[in-house]
Amino acid sequence: MSLLSILGVLSSAIFSGTSLLYTTLGEVIDERAGIVNLGLEGVLLVSASSGFAVTSITGNPYLGILVAMLAGGLMNLVLGYLVITRKANQLASGLALMFFGFGLSALIGKSYVGVKITSLPKILLPGLAGLPPLYSSLFRFDLLIFLVIPAAILVWWLLYRTRWGLGLRAVGENADTAFASGRDPRLIRYQALFVGGMLVGLGAAHLSIAYAMNWTEYMTGGRGFIAVALVIFSKWHPLRAIVGALVFSAAVAFQLLLQSSGLQVSPFLLDTIPYILTLVVLIAWGGNRKHSAPASLGRVYQGSE
Amino acid sequence: MSKIEEALPRSPVIQMKFMRAILRYLLMILLAFLLFGIILLISGKDPIQSYRDIFISTFGNSRGFSEVIVGMIPMLLTAMAVALPSRVGLINVGGEGQLYIGAAFATFGALTFSHLPAWLLIPIMMLLGMLGGALWAFLPGYFKSIGLVNETITTLLMNSVAPKIIGFLIFGFWHSPMDTVKTDNFVAAARLPAFFGTRIHLGLVFGLVLLVAFWLFMKYTRWGLEMYAIWNNPQAARRNGIPVKKYLIIAMCVGGAIAGLAGMSQVSGFYGVLLLNFSMSLGFMGFMICWLSGGDPLGIVVMSFVVSVIFTGGNLLQLTRGLPFAVINILLAFTLFVVLASPTIFKGKKS
Amino acid sequence: MKNKSYLILAICLSFVVMLSACGPAATEPVTEVATEAPTEVATEAPAAEPCLIIGALYGGPMNDAGYNQAMHEAVMAIKTNIPCVEIIEAENVPDEAGATTTMQNMIDQGAKLIFPTAFNHQYPALTLSQSNPDVIFEHAGGWEMGANFANFFGEPPDGWYLMGVAAGMMTTSNKIGFVAAFPLGWTLTFVNAFELGVQSVNPEAQTIVSYTFAWGDATKDADTTNALINQGCDVITMHVDSPATIISTAESRSVYSIGFQNLAAQQFAPEYWISGTGFTLGGTLTWLASMVLDGTWTPIFVRCGIDDGCMAIAPFGPRVPQEVKDLVAEKQAEISAGTLVVFKGPIVDQDGTIRVAEGEVLSSEVMGSVDWFVQGVIGSPK
Repeated sequence: MSLLSILGVLSSAIFSGTSLLYTTLGEVIDERAGIVNLGLEGVLLVSASSGFAVTSITGNPYLGILVAMLAGGLMNLVLGYLVITRKANQLASGLALMFFGFGLSALIGKSYVGVKITSLPKILLPGLAGLPPLYSSLFRFDLLIFLVIPAAILVWWLLYRTRWGLGLRAVGENADTAFASGRDPRLIRYQALFVGGMLVGLGAAHLSIAYAMNWTEYMTGGRGFIAVALVIFSKWHPLRAIVGALVFSAAVAFQLLLQSSGLQVSPFLLDTIPYILTLVVLIAWGGNRKHSAPASLGRVYQGSE
Repeated sequence: MSKIEEALPRSPVIQMKFMRAILRYLLMILLAFLLFGIILLISGKDPIQSYRDIFISTFGNSRGFSEVIVGMIPMLLTAMAVALPSRVGLINVGGEGQLYIGAAFATFGALTFSHLPAWLLIPIMMLLGMLGGALWAFLPGYFKSIGLVNETITTLLMNSVAPKIIGFLIFGFWHSPMDTVKTDNFVAAARLPAFFGTRIHLGLVFGLVLLVAFWLFMKYTRWGLEMYAIWNNPQAARRNGIPVKKYLIIAMCVGGAIAGLAGMSQVSGFYGVLLLNFSMSLGFMGFMICWLSGGDPLGIVVMSFVVSVIFTGGNLLQLTRGLPFAVINILLAFTLFVVLASPTIFKGKKS
Repeated sequence: MKNKSYLILAICLSFVVMLSACGPAATEPVTEVATEAPTEVATEAPAAEPCLIIGALYGGPMNDAGYNQAMHEAVMAIKTNIPCVEIIEAENVPDEAGATTTMQNMIDQGAKLIFPTAFNHQYPALTLSQSNPDVIFEHAGGWEMGANFANFFGEPPDGWYLMGVAAGMMTTSNKIGFVAAFPLGWTLTFVNAFELGVQSVNPEAQTIVSYTFAWGDATKDADTTNALINQGCDVITMHVDSPATIISTAESRSVYSIGFQNLAAQQFAPEYWISGTGFTLGGTLTWLASMVLDGTWTPIFVRCGIDDGCMAIAPFGPRVPQEVKDLVAEKQAEISAGTLVVFKGPIVDQDGTIRVAEGEVLSSEVMGSVDWFVQGVIGSPK
């Protein structure tokens, strides 16, 4: 394993982990408010396709990113309507949203498959200009990659250092108590879904506009479900989510490295490691109440009429 | 919806309930079709023509109709895989994974015992399929029963692991020499027989038989009643001596076994090979069908039929309207949305 | 508040969906076939009865700038050459069950000639050919033959050799990355042909193969390309359905790329494109369709190469020096003349075993089931 290979794994992890991290951050916010979104896959697809379409039409990737964020927020609001206002089951609603996303994204993206777009410019990480091009090209990142860690910190700050975040977490623990102390759980949950959805949209935008620079149906490849797993893996904490997303993507990159060094381990088996890790972590920490799920996660808030 | 019910004339209670239920379902499906029609209009396609295409290709000829039935088969089973555990309050979203592992086990049987005659091989494959599915559901069931982890999360995670194991098996051991994406074609003895030259295979019989058995089981056996007790009030059930933990694990495993059987019937009856990623969200569709029908066996048959009509008809839509096939998911989603947004359907179902 | 937000939501969703009604100016929307009175976009006067209804199905999207687009363009060429035909197309038909249903629907719509273009459409098509003896099936890339079932394909290995020559001359790190979908016999043959070409001008250079295990997964393509570049590869090529993402990624990292499947791939790498080879089967398909039309069709196993017009070499990119272009042209002439045969022995595999003996030639029947890599290729052939 040369230094180049190891740095290469790190670089690949950062590149492909960025979209995963944004998505996970969005879901952290939602789950902290007590809503689990199994339809993330659909949200990602719709955001990715609309962002890509707008980028192609206007030639402006930044506009595409904004539209993707908006699309993500809107898709989540659909979930919100079903789950908060109509009090439907969260899992079923999430899955329905997923199917909706499959179809809607295909419709939006149809004319844009294989279209070339202007992507985001790549900027070298400051201070590395002296390195030979082979190394420095590993660290030419685009705007969204640079923003992802600040975004995680922003989410942390939102959840733990603002009144809004406090209210959100209170609603996630026990909506009735939160209501009794003067908050409106329904409004807070809608807000959480919209903000979370925008972050998910950001992740989708990075995927289609900056990373793959392409649109194909189902291109997110299960990232939505990976994000749900990562939220648990990072124990619903935005800063730990950074580690989770990085570990996951590094595992993928590492597996690719192994492949091309002639090692005969099945890439499929290697791919399962992150999920098995998450399972193990869940089981190991399961009994420990300190870092467990927000108590009212998944439950319907009946409210008082 | 309730206003409509009030407006309907009074009539013998049982008949009315049945008629009301049918009417409710119909109105919801109509609303979903209307919404989808709007989407079609916005995308510049003719909705009337599109619906004609869907109905002609599914009801207009016998082959189309048989394709609808073929599509129903796995969904009947995966829906039951969710329905049975739900009767003790378990949420099994792992149908996808259990289906894959069941298919893998059944494939192992088909490839290893290919010299056996059909009357031996098929039951062996069925048992293997059920074993695979049950095994895959065991861990989530166990950890739920000892109160450690929620089965929703564990089954979801195991869903993601299962297709990769299939990939490993296909590429590592079983792939056909001409194409690495799938195994060799199953021998004739390993294939579920089909009826009358259509593609409707024996899996349909499995599904219907199991549905009836499920209904009888829940209603008339001691175990069914005990499961009802657990669902209603787990603490009281435990105090009355019902072994709740055992029921949780067994219910989960039986659910998994049924999903595994669905997997077996797909690879044996439908495809005749084990294909990478052969399940188009069959497990999740089963979950949705179970929810749409409230876990009721008759409802499962009806909703599986509706969903299959949507997808089978959607195939023609692609050719005649130039819509990507995936768009038909929108119609499915609207059907789901409409039902989800009307909580009166779910009488007595915990959320 | 609830009703208002629902309304706003509905408006927003409609707006988002309306994006689907727009499209970029360059790409033509899918040819729609009206089966009833044509109120939709019709490209011809609706009056006359079509002389032949042709169905075509693709494993992926028709505008993927790759294999599926190449097949689509070849099918549409039939219509340009024989205007009276009517074409029904279905894209994203990945697996066998969907293929059967789709082809059946096409037959119901009156198709008498069907082109299943994806590798795994072969057996469903074969089965249907047996129950529909009056419909002719022409499969792309397979090997089965029947009374109303035949096979056509280009001959990529020669083109691959030439691309290898170009790559071998352009690489400075002596590492070339090859992104492959699956370890299929044909893929291995392409890699081998490529590496043989590379070695003919640059014996030190190696080809590193990495699999994505998917024909059209854009994110995996990007992941794999980046991983190869991070290992030091400065030229990237591929065998997946669509080269778009791989080439874009290589371009964004200032790495050379060589395209495959479709010459349209060049647009993704305006600067670092070397060349590419792609399918140009329009002429072949027109020939097949015309035989069906005048009743002279018989099952022929069609394989044709660069000289027959079935495969083409793309124009060279701006950074390719003249000497490379000249050498490629020279080798191409040698292949046409027969003095240069790509798979002529001795050919040794990665473990040192002689696979093609001195004086012998690897035959095209075997090319589809090759399971080894030539020496100089890094990667697993299984």
